Amino acid sequence: MLNHHPLTRWLFGYEAQRKRMLKKAPEGPLRDFLSVPFPPLNTPLNCIPILAVDFETTGLDAVQDQLLSVGCVELNHNQIKLGSSYHQIINAKGSLKANNVTIHQITDDQKDQGQPLAEVIEQLLKRLAGKVMLVHFARIERQFLRQACLELYGMAPPFPIIDTLVVAKRRLDKRDLAYDPSELRLLALREKYDLPEHYAHNALNDSIATAELLLAQLSERSKHLSLQQLIL
Amino acid sequence: MDSALTEISEFIQAIPPMDLLPSNIIEQVVKEISICYVRRGQSLPPEGIVAANLYILRKGALSYVTENNELLGKYSEGDICTAFCLNNDDKTKVTSDEDTLLYSINYHNFHQLVSEYPDVLAFFQQTSEQRLNKKMLQVNEDAILNSSLLNSSIAHLCHDPVVSVSPDTSIQQAAILMTEQGFSCLVIVQNDQLLGIVTDKDIRRRCVAQGLGIEQPVSAIMTDDMATIDIKSTAYDALMMMTQKHIHHLPVTAYSQLKGMVTVTDLMNNEGQNAINITSITHKAKSVDELIEISSMIPKLQIRMAKLGTTADHVGKSISAITMAFTIRLIEMAEKLLGPPPVPYAWLAAGSQGRQEQFAHSDQDNALIISNEMQPQHGYWFKDLATFVSDGLAACGFIYCPGNVMATNPQWCQTQKKWSQYFAQWINTPDPKALMHCSTFFDLITVYGESSLLEQVRVKMLKKTQSSTLFIAHLSRNALNLRPPLGFFRDFVLIQDGENKATLDLKHNGIAPIVDLARIYALSEGISSVNTIERLKQAAGTPSLTKASAANLIDAYEFLSMLRMMHQANKLQKGQQPNNYLSPKDISKLEREHLKDAFKVIKTLQDSRQSTY
Repeated sequence: MLNHHPLTRWLFGYEAQRKRMLKKAPEGPLRDFLSVPFPPLNTPLNCIPILAVDFETTGLDAVQDQLLSVGCVELNHNQIKLGSSYHQIINAKGSLKANNVTIHQITDDQKDQGQPLAEVIEQLLKRLAGKVMLVHFARIERQFLRQACLELYGMAPPFPIIDTLVVAKRRLDKRDLAYDPSELRLLALREKYDLPEHYAHNALNDSIATAELLLAQLSERSKHLSLQQLIL
Repeated sequence: MDSALTEISEFIQAIPPMDLLPSNIIEQVVKEISICYVRRGQSLPPEGIVAANLYILRKGALSYVTENNELLGKYSEGDICTAFCLNNDDKTKVTSDEDTLLYSINYHNFHQLVSEYPDVLAFFQQTSEQRLNKKMLQVNEDAILNSSLLNSSIAHLCHDPVVSVSPDTSIQQAAILMTEQGFSCLVIVQNDQLLGIVTDKDIRRRCVAQGLGIEQPVSAIMTDDMATIDIKSTAYDALMMMTQKHIHHLPVTAYSQLKGMVTVTDLMNNEGQNAINITSITHKAKSVDELIEISSMIPKLQIRMAKLGTTADHVGKSISAITMAFTIRLIEMAEKLLGPPPVPYAWLAAGSQGRQEQFAHSDQDNALIISNEMQPQHGYWFKDLATFVSDGLAACGFIYCPGNVMATNPQWCQTQKKWSQYFAQWINTPDPKALMHCSTFFDLITVYGESSLLEQVRVKMLKKTQSSTLFIAHLSRNALNLRPPLGFFRDFVLIQDGENKATLDLKHNGIAPIVDLARIYALSEGISSVNTIERLKQAAGTPSLTKASAANLIDAYEFLSMLRMMHQANKLQKGQQPNNYLSPKDISKLEREHLKDAFKVIKTLQDSRQSTY
């Protein structure tokens, strides 16, 4: 609750951080990203510019493991725009572990034909500028993106995030009933909302699936919600 | 394309008419998609969308209702909602029955993407009637390529020239000429006038067997009251005439001038193993057992014709012609047993056989009309005749009519006078029972015997129906009891009140309503034909039916009949009893679209009937 206080927001809020960091940021993709203001917290729900993002990685540790692919799609005015979709495999270092390949389905050959991390992150930052990032289970995307920025630009910018997992969790917590954490998985939540099956573990597909889940979640909420009630 | 979007592309590409687009266009269509989510109970278009859009249902369900909240249709996964494609003043309301995930596509952009694919555009721009017409044009074109009988003109089949002689030619000269030329018949002509025909059989029966001198003129043994057929007729017309008159040679004329000759053999060679073959061997059958054996070929013929792409109209006519041949053969056998008829009479076919729309395994609907000279003691002869023929037909697979519309029923074995009274009574007092009889007995044709008996009754009857608006009103109201479904919802048939049924009754909810409408038009306009397509063609352009509506109904009728024929052929092929119940699971998405169009055509015409009365 502390970060809802106007003073803390002024000190640590994402917009304040953005402005501070903009002054230090080097020329290039990061600076470009930071120069676009984020939407204010009182932005009504259907006016928030959102980019649904999903990563496929070689593991869960942002420092040791690597980013393998990035997928994203825009969500504006409650519409997911497939024309804006972006998907790119990254030419990560080293070879892939077999048990991992079965999950993300990216082979060594595909990976070797991928683009360098710097180019993919530049593309992603371009799309993310001025938008709120939408993910399911924010920890992975946030940590891997921060880590990539640190490696590439020496600093990691703030990312305002909506997490469909947290949106669902907050609702379940309110009921004050015990629940199985597996109910919070993307597939389980989509099933709960009767959303169609999708081909999971492809970064773009998962980002679209996440955006669809958010539309379903929001459809049962008040239209007067603003970014403030949804942000992490 | 980006492999991630393949799933969506595949989903889109499976939906007609998108299946006509190549993958590079599909790829661009996918890029135009905005995914929207509409909560249960909300109306379309989704909030914030004002442009003309088309919507593809990814998940969920939509209902279309009129201004007055009458349900028009329901849509589900994989259906396309075109209600908002054009900014027309259509008052249709669309609401979501379930939480619904939609792929919305800007129609203007879509139109540009598919501008080079007229078949795809047509789907969005044409009316139900136009789409159905297009489908049937294609079906009929295929049928012309595949079939022959109905579409072969006599002009292509007949022999030309015909050997003709003058009436004073001697019988011997005629016989020599026939032998030399290898013809089985000659035409007798005087001053370009057709006088008669002489066949091998006439020389045998009327000359040799009678001991008539061979120097006698050929006119002594010729058949002078002969049937001829116009050169513009089809091979089917020739078959019907030959079957009905029991003849094998038919002179062909053009503007009353002799042009050629067509024989049963010509027709047979044209068709191969077919309806004509069956009717031909039926004529030669010597016992009921032989007929039973021949009857086993009927379902096979129906399967073959259906698989060849023959139109349902053609199949119905062929099967009806065969039933006619069976009936005639059985009557001949009966007359041989019972002796000649005491008074003139005619054997009548009612219902689908009367309309020449019969399929294998349909039930027999028949009746007898007897000259008014009939005396009470003659009743036995006709009862015996009816029993013999009806039992024979049943043995050949034409089951007894469940409604007992059969010549064996004393009620339907009556004099001409009584039949006239029946019709007068039904028309004057159209109670429910009368209306039930109407659908059977207003579709009568003569199969055998004195056809003037029925035709005289028909002339009087049509005069009455034409002037009796009350009767037509009752008939119309009765016909409106059978309504077509609204369409499909998921794998179910959606009916008027929004309920679902597992199967579609093609007969009662599709074909019968059109047959009923055609009968009403015919009776109000005094049209004597009983075949549904004939009735519609003749009613076209009368006050009862516009030309366009007639064409639409014919398309709908042909499409529904074709589906029924294919369905029955599949059943027959599996050795199952054919029926009229079609499961939506067994038909393609495209066929469902065509069916919906056909339903709409029927509904439109039924509604206009309703508002007339």
